[in-house]
Amino acid sequence: MARRPLLVALALLASAGLSPAAVRPPLAANPRMFAAGRDAPLVFAAASLSDALRGIADAFEARTGRSVTLAFGGSGDLARQIQAGAPAAVFVSADARSVESLERAGLVKPTERIDLLSNRLVVVVPESATHAPRTVRELASLSSLAIADPATAPVGIYAREWLTRAGVWAALEERIVPTLDVRAALAAVESASAPAAVVYRTDALLSRRVRVAFEAAPHQAPRIVYVAALIAGAGERGREFFRELRSAQARAVFERLGFELLGGP
Amino acid sequence: MVLEDLRVVAFTVEMALVATAAVLVPGVAAALLLARYRGPGRSALDTLLSLPLVLPPTAVGLALLELLGARRPLGRWLGTHGLEIVFTWKAVVLATAVMSFPLLVRQARTAFEDVDPRLVGLARTLGCSPLAAFFRVTLPLARRGVLAGTVLAFSRALGEFGATILVAGNIPGRTQTLALRIFQEVQAGRDERAATLAGLTAALAFLALWSADRIGRRARERAP
Repeated sequence: MARRPLLVALALLASAGLSPAAVRPPLAANPRMFAAGRDAPLVFAAASLSDALRGIADAFEARTGRSVTLAFGGSGDLARQIQAGAPAAVFVSADARSVESLERAGLVKPTERIDLLSNRLVVVVPESATHAPRTVRELASLSSLAIADPATAPVGIYAREWLTRAGVWAALEERIVPTLDVRAALAAVESASAPAAVVYRTDALLSRRVRVAFEAAPHQAPRIVYVAALIAGAGERGREFFRELRSAQARAVFERLGFELLGGP
Repeated sequence: MVLEDLRVVAFTVEMALVATAAVLVPGVAAALLLARYRGPGRSALDTLLSLPLVLPPTAVGLALLELLGARRPLGRWLGTHGLEIVFTWKAVVLATAVMSFPLLVRQARTAFEDVDPRLVGLARTLGCSPLAAFFRVTLPLARRGVLAGTVLAFSRALGEFGATILVAGNIPGRTQTLALRIFQEVQAGRDERAATLAGLTAALAFLALWSADRIGRRARERAP
């Protein structure tokens, strides 16, 4: 019968769909055949820590032979994902607020969180910009200003606090371009799609395509605290990386990238 | 690039295949039901099944997250039974399956509607059980539509984004499909990397549609 191959193929697919383990990939007994690092602990971290944590994770793997899976984003967003059940073992947030929401949900113990780092806010403009604002007052003349969305990223909240205290938020509010996270705000200025952005000093230092116009004055800027937390249910390997964040090697990486270290080793 | 990107491609194809396999039986059953059933509630059912087609994918993702999140009753119950779905590959399969389902149903249903019910009746009078009549008359006659729907569903699954990112997150090496990776690269301002991946996606989609067309043509040539 000429039609048989098609019917056989359909029947095969059908049996895969009907089996009680329909959500298990039929290609192999091993689920997620093509996914990497299945047993590695998952680390969620603020987007501004991308380079630092990649460096620390690489060194950690080179030294111990154990890898971690890193995922970056806006801290508020990541905290919500953890609340919804994302299987993260370690969370490094760019603010205390996101970690506190997890504490209230019983997902972080007060004894298993540490204030890790601090940072500063700067205004960046494209490297090629002919004129740049020099003070917070001059921001008012910009056509738009990119900041990470205050709804999902602490840097957006910090920037809003700073601009509010400096008395320019109300004038600027309509021209704010919210981005997914701080790296997206930086990328918007790198590609000159936004004339300026408020980012962390550490992000600005990494890019050759932007320059720092000015830094937020310390008396106006909110205090920035990065908090590392161990998530309930994390295994020994997650705990190990949590400790690694305070190691001398990690602190050297943070320092080299321009972060300010908090607390003792 | 290379190895990591190839792994993402393979993972994306794997997820799309599993999602397509998962929707095939319920999709064909739903299509047959819509094609044959004429009782009350028919258009309500039709509308309900087509909903993922018109809703923003993010709305579908949110609904799934609300249903299956670790702190929701169903999600918690599944969790205590060792089935964690959100932010794992299972969530990728679920999101893409839900989004692809109506595409299969719509195509297959039209095909079933085109099958002359008298032929099915004839088979029944000749002693076929309803199941045998379906597998020996209805399905072979409607196979082109079913196949086209399956391919459409697969193609949709390959590129699903909105629902996936909400229920599965965007975790490299775990839930990150091509569409999610492109998004990540664009957000980070790595446009060239994003363009490479977009090219890969286009090649993949082309391959899927092209081979479907080939299969369809061969089936047509063989048809009486």
